[in-house]
Amino acid sequence: MKKMILLLAAFGAVSSWAQPRLPKDYYWQKLDNGLEVVVIENHKVPLATIEIAVRNGAYTEGPEYSGLSHLFEHMFFKANKDYPDQEKFLKRTQELGAIWNGTTGDERVNYYFTFDKDSLEAGLNFMNAAIRYPIYREEDMQKERPVVDGEFQRAESDPGFLLYYEMGKRVWGDLFTRKNAIGDHDIINSATPAKMMVIKDKYYLPNNSILVICGDVVPQQAFALAKKIYGDWKPSEWDPHIKYPIPEFQPIAKTDYFIKESSIAKNPQIMMAWQGPDTRNDSAATIAADVFSKVLSLNSSKWQQALRDKGLATAADVSYQTNKYVGPIGIFVTPIPGKLKECYTEVMNQVKHWGDADYFSDAELAKAKAGLKREQIRRNEKPSSLASQLTYNWTSTSLDYMTDYFSAMDKVTRADIQRYISKYITGKPYVAGMIINKEMNDQYKPGDYFKN
Amino acid sequence: MKNIIFFFLLLSATANAQENKPYEMMVNGVKVIVVPSGNEIVQIDMVIKGGVQNYTADKAGIEKLAMTALTECGTMKRSKNDFKNALDEVDAKMYAYTGRDAAHVQLNCIKGDFETAWPLYAEALTAPKFDAKEFARIKEEALNALREEESNPDAALRKMAMQTAFKGLDYAKSPNGTVETIKALTPAATKAYLQSTLTRSRIFIVVVGDIAKEDLQKKMTAFTANLPQGKPFLLKRTAYTPKAHSFVAQKKDVATNYIMGFSGAPDPTSKDYYPATLASGMFYDKAFLEVRTNNGLSYAPAAYISGGLTPFSTMYVTTKEPDKYIAVARNMVDNLKKNGFPADDVKNTKNTYANYQYYNNETNQSLAGMVASAELNQGAWRKAFTLKEDLAPITPADVNRVFNKYISNFTWVYQGDTSKVNQKLFIQKETPPLPAKDTKAF
Repeated sequence: MKKMILLLAAFGAVSSWAQPRLPKDYYWQKLDNGLEVVVIENHKVPLATIEIAVRNGAYTEGPEYSGLSHLFEHMFFKANKDYPDQEKFLKRTQELGAIWNGTTGDERVNYYFTFDKDSLEAGLNFMNAAIRYPIYREEDMQKERPVVDGEFQRAESDPGFLLYYEMGKRVWGDLFTRKNAIGDHDIINSATPAKMMVIKDKYYLPNNSILVICGDVVPQQAFALAKKIYGDWKPSEWDPHIKYPIPEFQPIAKTDYFIKESSIAKNPQIMMAWQGPDTRNDSAATIAADVFSKVLSLNSSKWQQALRDKGLATAADVSYQTNKYVGPIGIFVTPIPGKLKECYTEVMNQVKHWGDADYFSDAELAKAKAGLKREQIRRNEKPSSLASQLTYNWTSTSLDYMTDYFSAMDKVTRADIQRYISKYITGKPYVAGMIINKEMNDQYKPGDYFKN
Repeated sequence: MKNIIFFFLLLSATANAQENKPYEMMVNGVKVIVVPSGNEIVQIDMVIKGGVQNYTADKAGIEKLAMTALTECGTMKRSKNDFKNALDEVDAKMYAYTGRDAAHVQLNCIKGDFETAWPLYAEALTAPKFDAKEFARIKEEALNALREEESNPDAALRKMAMQTAFKGLDYAKSPNGTVETIKALTPAATKAYLQSTLTRSRIFIVVVGDIAKEDLQKKMTAFTANLPQGKPFLLKRTAYTPKAHSFVAQKKDVATNYIMGFSGAPDPTSKDYYPATLASGMFYDKAFLEVRTNNGLSYAPAAYISGGLTPFSTMYVTTKEPDKYIAVARNMVDNLKKNGFPADDVKNTKNTYANYQYYNNETNQSLAGMVASAELNQGAWRKAFTLKEDLAPITPADVNRVFNKYISNFTWVYQGDTSKVNQKLFIQKETPPLPAKDTKAF
């Protein structure tokens, strides 16, 4: 109780902002410059994790910037006013004993450092120098461009990525760059410091960012440090997502099939994708999508029984990715090569029946919901991962969505799931792709039946 | 009445107390290591020692199929589907991993579900059925997994490296088997293999979670009583020291070139192990700086130690410029051998490793893995908790001595565009000169 009063007193200064709903031991403030700060108190191990996430990523990229949010993320670790070259930057991470990384996705770029709890202030200062005062030199970019392109080439050495990439082009059409964080080779290899500054000025603003401090920390102290270090970060006078709006994705015009030959694909893989719901327009369906995907992962489901139990495939996964701008619904199947046709035929047969009233039982629905709750217990097990989980929601859903997720999920009914399937899958255009090597393509001739 | 009930509850809690520090107990001759976690998860890891030492090359894959069959081929009480549905009922995960040093059979569940999940785990291990129809299915899956392994560039490279470096040794055997060895396996032979290795003489068990000691002891006693004692078993440790540099290339149509090199490393039980661990961490940092930062040659340069029963050091990279890479890498090694690691770096790396220790303690699964690894490779599970203390007395001189002692010749393998690589630069005795600045390649 004493602790609660102290916290309320500490947070009183920001009471003019509407507080989002948050889980226990999560605390929120918004600084005057618009920077949201969340502190997650968790004393499991004597570590602190800090993360800054920015509403940037593929969805902000037109063709001329394709892949540059990602290159920018790499340049964050290069040089800044306090650590003017990467050798000094890396040396500082070593002094802090930091475990660190950054990621670039469709709707978020995030940077995170984990270190001992006593290094919190030093860590926050370190992050501040990197995010607010970066230095972009042509010579540094010359060295980093092949590094980022090398990450791309590693992905291109994997048949699963080659299939995924081709799928993406067809699912998102003219706006593919808005869903392709890895980008375009030519754009990456011709990027300039000036382009980095454009990204920085457009998106790296306190009113477009969130700072999360989690782990073995004291909330009042963490908020005070955040305000002291980040309070003078100058905001823009505009909301970048209003000034530079994300264009709306056009629906898939018509069902599209393709077969890609590749010598590195030692066994065939099949993907199918639909454009699904998003949290701006149909957040209820995003939760129904998660429940349905979980139902299909159950061993007892008709889907798994038809494909795995019958020995037609070694993987048969169905997923939905929660996004603010059209989340994809995907099927990924690894067939047994000798049963390729049978497997594909069965996939189509199952998809045709997904919307049937008896496609899954009440018991499976209940089991799926209970399973999702247990998955959440597991996700919450690692304190240093809590920041990234929160920032994903901050960018692609909302903190209220995150907090209310399971109470909303409890209310999902069979009718909700059928509505989701009917609205986004049954009878809707989709893209289907297969990657296969030449020998298997010649032997099994999927082109005879894997088509619209 | 209320007081009496309270008294009984108290008594019960005292008799079945929850320990709060890691401990071990011997149950029917089996070591059970228990780590209380203070959270809602329970992780079990039963380790069958031996790995590739347990079978001949013509039987490679047998342990993997035996482990897969535990959850995929039914039990004497339930069909495969009934068994898997029961696990799904509480979203319990039962995994089997087959490595070169051991097989691991793991259970992960929510603490409140342990009473449901544990009997299923025990049933799979003590009464597997090896149903013939299901066995045929998992054989097909194992063959598909081999194709997937070849499709994955990192997995394929590592397999090639292991087979090249350890030719004639146990480590050359792939736990996943080959097309020929998998096809030849029968349910009866695989079941017989399981019965010969899943014995009290070969296993130990790690439990990470808050299970009352007496409860756990009771469950473990009943479980291990159903396992045969088996023959005494002694793990074999093998040293790996390449006599000269070597290089093998394979043409592959991948978008960049994949390179891996193996050199020697100290046995995890030796006094050189902790200095080598520090050297490995600093060597990784140095590779990042020289290969990635200063020369822009790769996204993913790496260096690390594999501290198993046949320990070895690894250098790894993916690059479009293999010749430039090897010049930079070999000059980096020479420089470190000549000038040593800075004392400051040794101090900082100790701090980083201490943080990693806590970081890896965050999940029960990771913690169980660390405990199992320490017990298997060092014969001392408590080492999983003493990294900071074990590293504290290590001096820069220790690190430099060990680096010089073990990092010598490398067995290199390469997959990618073979026309882009000059193998002489990898195997010649003299270190190639560093390329001039701003040249793209030699």
